[in-house]
Amino acid sequence: MNVVNATSSYVLPFFLAVFLHLVVGFGVNIQWSSSSTKLFQQDRPIYLNATLVNENPYAAKKRREANERQQKRLARQKREQQIRRLRDKETAAEAEKERLARLRDQLEQQKLREVMQKMQAESPPVVKQNQKDLETERQLMEQGLVEAIRGEQEFRIAVTDDERALAYVGQIQRQIIQNWSRPPSARNGMQALLKVYLVPTGEVVEVVVIESSSNEAFDRSAILAVRKSERFVVPEEPREFEKNFREFSVLFKPEDLRL
Amino acid sequence: MTEPLSILDLVLNASIVVQIVMVILLLASLMSWVMIFQRGFNLAAAKRAAVNFEDEFWSGKDLRNIYLEMKDDDQSAHFGLSSIFTSGFKEFSRARKQKDSDPDAVMQNVQRAMRVAMSREEERLETHLAFLATVGSTSPYIGLFGTVWGIMNSFRGLATVNQASLSIVAPGISEALIATAMGLFAAIPAVIAYNRFSAQAELQVNRCDAFIDEFSGILHRAIYGH
Repeated sequence: MNVVNATSSYVLPFFLAVFLHLVVGFGVNIQWSSSSTKLFQQDRPIYLNATLVNENPYAAKKRREANERQQKRLARQKREQQIRRLRDKETAAEAEKERLARLRDQLEQQKLREVMQKMQAESPPVVKQNQKDLETERQLMEQGLVEAIRGEQEFRIAVTDDERALAYVGQIQRQIIQNWSRPPSARNGMQALLKVYLVPTGEVVEVVVIESSSNEAFDRSAILAVRKSERFVVPEEPREFEKNFREFSVLFKPEDLRL
Repeated sequence: MTEPLSILDLVLNASIVVQIVMVILLLASLMSWVMIFQRGFNLAAAKRAAVNFEDEFWSGKDLRNIYLEMKDDDQSAHFGLSSIFTSGFKEFSRARKQKDSDPDAVMQNVQRAMRVAMSREEERLETHLAFLATVGSTSPYIGLFGTVWGIMNSFRGLATVNQASLSIVAPGISEALIATAMGLFAAIPAVIAYNRFSAQAELQVNRCDAFIDEFSGILHRAIYGH
């Protein structure tokens, strides 16, 4: 029964309340951070080679594409030729049949009935069978062609998806290369691996050296090259961005130097 | 890194209005918890004191002895039933010392003294309950205000960006919603505590009422028995 002393009765409650708030705050913070790291976990990064070689990556890509297209065209031509050949055979068989019929007529006209009877007994079934075989073969071929075309289309769609990512990668590459001024101490065989973190708007938020070139100036020039670009063009679609452009690695090596 | 959205970052990046709202809510929550603990201890002590006093009162001891014992104790330590008892008994013995006292007038005086003690007691039991009720009913609105303000701002920010994406508005909305969470965090315990403590205070007041009736019955018998 010693409570009524006004100020002292508030000291313990005050500390209890502060303690409670601190505990709740820490608890919420810890739980929050653990859940958010789980949310933003990344899968493997892509690697871009920002090499200073003279070859234009776009031209190379175009050449490769042209090659692929050529091959595809050849394949299709081949298939079409086969079909054409089959058709030719078919028409040849029909011609043969006609010829036979004509022959039969002639024979009839010549009233060589015996010979004609023999012909009737032998040749028509043979011709018919031939014709049937050709028909089925042709159908099979056509089916194969349709399937091949479908597969090709699917492949083309996949390629364009990939292509788009490649186009962005190429643009980023060029941007970095443009901003890269190599230090005089750069030597062939040096290479620095950098990791770049972007936000969805394409802005660079962080650049980290993963593998140093053991030349500080070179590392710094690489970091500066990325930092100077400030903002990259990245895909608007969030899924694509998260997959390839949220974080990626860039390899710097001065390959065109003759030192 | 991949934008570490810790609560601290969110709070520190919030606009000034939202931050003010958060500070107000944090203070309200802190104060209401101080009151909750203080009230809790206080009411528990009052209950314990009342039980002890009743035990002593009905133990069959002479009332005068009990009164003298209590008078020797620290005066300020008396609260609850004992303060009602001492004030009533003091009035009673003072009236009895006068020779020509009218028994009815004595009874009235004693009862009045006890009522005064009881109302003082009631007042003490209900201190801070009004504060808890205020926190419980207003802090959700304060939090809601902070949230609405924060969302308003983040949408206004969205209007100036030409490439609108969810990741631009999401942090703003998230930090704004913290205000609502804090409001609820302050309000829920306050409401629960208010209901609990007002029920307990009511119980104490009823107990005092019953005691006053019993005690005045005893005194009545003592006056008219002479």
